[in-house]
Amino acid sequence: MPFVDQIIHYGSLSVVGLGKNTGKTECLRYVMRRLFEMQKVVAVTSIGVDGERTDQVTHTAKPEIFLDRGMYFTTAASYYLDKRFGAEICHVGEHTTVLGKMVTARALERGKMILAGPSDTVSLQEWVRMTPKRFPVDVCLVDGAISRLSPASPVVTASMVLATGAAYSPHMKTLVERTRYIYDTICLPGAPEELVKKLENITNGVRAITPQGDVTEPIAGQALLPEQVRQVLEKCGNKLYVPGVVSNLLIKALGEKKDVYNTQLYVRDFTRIFSEPRVFHTFLRKGGRIFQLFTTNLLAVCVNPVSPEGVRLNSEELIQKIQQAIEVPVYDIKRMEQ
Amino acid sequence: MTFARYSERIEGLQYLAGKMELSGSRVRRYLMQELFCTSQKVLESNFDIIQKALELLKDNKYANGIMQLRHLFTQVHDIRGTLDALRENRVLDEVELFEIKYFAALCRDFITLCDSLGFDHENLQSLQRAFDLLDPVGSGTVSFYMHDAYSQALSEARKHANATDPEKEPDKWNDARDRITEEELLVRQRLSSELSLMQSVLRDNFDRIAHLEIWFAKAALAKRYGMVRPRIVMDSGPCVLQAEGMINPVIADILKPLNRVFQPVSISLGSGPCLLTGANMSGKTVVLKTLALIQVLAQFSFFVPANNASVTLVKDVFLVIGDKQDQYRGLSSFAAEMLELDRIMAKIREGAKVLVLADEPARTTNPSEGAAILCALVEFLDHYQTTSLISTHYGDLGRSCRKLRVSGFDSKQVKGRLDPLMMNEHMNYSLIEEKGDSVPMEALHIAHLLGVDESFIRSAQTYVKKTEK
Repeated sequence: MPFVDQIIHYGSLSVVGLGKNTGKTECLRYVMRRLFEMQKVVAVTSIGVDGERTDQVTHTAKPEIFLDRGMYFTTAASYYLDKRFGAEICHVGEHTTVLGKMVTARALERGKMILAGPSDTVSLQEWVRMTPKRFPVDVCLVDGAISRLSPASPVVTASMVLATGAAYSPHMKTLVERTRYIYDTICLPGAPEELVKKLENITNGVRAITPQGDVTEPIAGQALLPEQVRQVLEKCGNKLYVPGVVSNLLIKALGEKKDVYNTQLYVRDFTRIFSEPRVFHTFLRKGGRIFQLFTTNLLAVCVNPVSPEGVRLNSEELIQKIQQAIEVPVYDIKRMEQ
Repeated sequence: MTFARYSERIEGLQYLAGKMELSGSRVRRYLMQELFCTSQKVLESNFDIIQKALELLKDNKYANGIMQLRHLFTQVHDIRGTLDALRENRVLDEVELFEIKYFAALCRDFITLCDSLGFDHENLQSLQRAFDLLDPVGSGTVSFYMHDAYSQALSEARKHANATDPEKEPDKWNDARDRITEEELLVRQRLSSELSLMQSVLRDNFDRIAHLEIWFAKAALAKRYGMVRPRIVMDSGPCVLQAEGMINPVIADILKPLNRVFQPVSISLGSGPCLLTGANMSGKTVVLKTLALIQVLAQFSFFVPANNASVTLVKDVFLVIGDKQDQYRGLSSFAAEMLELDRIMAKIREGAKVLVLADEPARTTNPSEGAAILCALVEFLDHYQTTSLISTHYGDLGRSCRKLRVSGFDSKQVKGRLDPLMMNEHMNYSLIEEKGDSVPMEALHIAHLLGVDESFIRSAQTYVKKTEK
């Protein structure tokens, strides 16, 4: 599969599932195995336990990840100490979480482990930055999550693979539409560099950007409630920056503006956009534009046509339909392994 | 009393603590727990350490070494939990054993670096034995693994487990894994009990590294603000507290971005009280606060912000600013101030040698009683020969006492309306001896320059004339 070469090129990858049981873990395992076969050293972690610890529906524990000899991995001390294979501790983080300190270790044997790594964007960023400096690692892998519960954004890695499947929606048409929507948000263009520099450290308050490119003081704390959205629309002018959640309401209201074709919305990254696909696409169709401060390179989409409830979509048809809607390669990992 | 307590009482102390380059809250806690020192011997030897550190900081030859040292400080982790576990003879887990090994390796780096810098204070003890214990095959790396070399039984248990396929014989494999866990526990027990013998050395080194960092941070602070080593003098001489060219670092930092400099002030106090007069906005309060800061810094083993300074060691420093109003306890600012002065006087009656710096005491009540209270305070301080500086606007107290006056305001230069922030352009903050009883009468003049309504000022002036008659 070609995208493994690209992962090596980018040096870091997050695997993000659109929902539970969409085959994210299979996808991650596949990537790890391929990299291992290519004799590349990987370091792997997962976005912290706050993101998802147990499956809320089936109450099954977070899946364990198989680690091969020589792999580096980062997890919380309490999970580490439960390991059933040999490993040497190489680094212990300064901060203590409920599950203990963050332990980075190297597997000396093949084994499996629950990974619960950094749970906020800053620590995750630090992990992606420091791990290759501390240890002879070729690729950093992050088991990511798009979840409203997770404060950590997977956009800290240079590349990304998206996992989608029947568990996300059992109807082929809906599944393709929703996948297409997430794909479109991921592919939103990056903001110009000088604006990124101005905005990246601003993490609170909705702000307007003047025609001269200056950033104003907050015009509203957030843009979630109708009252707040009204306030934002009154003062925002044509360019606005929303550092937090970008609500459906806001995008809808922006889409109904008279000069929507002149409107530019800046968001931190695609995970902050919570809108209905139709509202999002209407805004863009009318000429509105959305830019992200942090972008990532989507390498591939992996599909899992089977859901735990027993839905089984036609793999070939699913791949074909999604492939028509998006412009990166689409794979069914399970079928490929067979 | 601790640094933390003083930093609540003495303005500027907290600010300077914030300006110190410390690697984290772990070290900051050590600083906050430092004690107010009244021993000349201890202070002198502490000043020697800072002096040595300051020499290293100033010498370009050592720039690289200092950079390495700062990097090492950031590498120290808070391992108090692990040290507590050792003290209580608990069995350490793998993560804790790694922390000990990592710490032992850090100590080795510190020892080598301090040797090369020629810095021989807070000497660390070698933890090579602890490191070797956790490095059974002598690999020299900091990573930690429960190595086969620790025990024959462990090695065999592992071989046994490896020969079993977890997929085909899961029960057998699990048994084998449990065996390994048992054997590992035995090894951990042995390692923990051996390490617990070195517990005091580990803890001592852990403390010393924090102190080492604080010495260098104090020296860096001295370098940044041009601070000097204070001389400690006996209180028998004529000067008990003296500072030449003192600056207030907080205000100096505020002025800096405005491209203005703090005008250094010199002052010398003997035993007994001294009054400080001067026009409004002439910086009397700043003199009091800066003096308090200098005295307290010196007794917490810091260099002080002046060109030259001598201090006498005291038991306590009181800075009475009179802003302790506490409506929630039903105290007016006057009541709070009186109670505070009462507490201080009680201390002095007990025979404690203290430094008192009071800003316009009794200013919030009627002038005739206020002046009377001030007189009584001066009499009291004179009787106990307590070194003190008291700012006031009350003139003619009918009691002889040494007086200093802020030179004051050069109003000739002022054109048009005066911006309060530009005040210091026209103010001469130096202190001069005042022989007479009068106090500067510039309040209305300054109000005028500030642009207060003309007619109001004229009206006030007629009242001044009436009272003078």
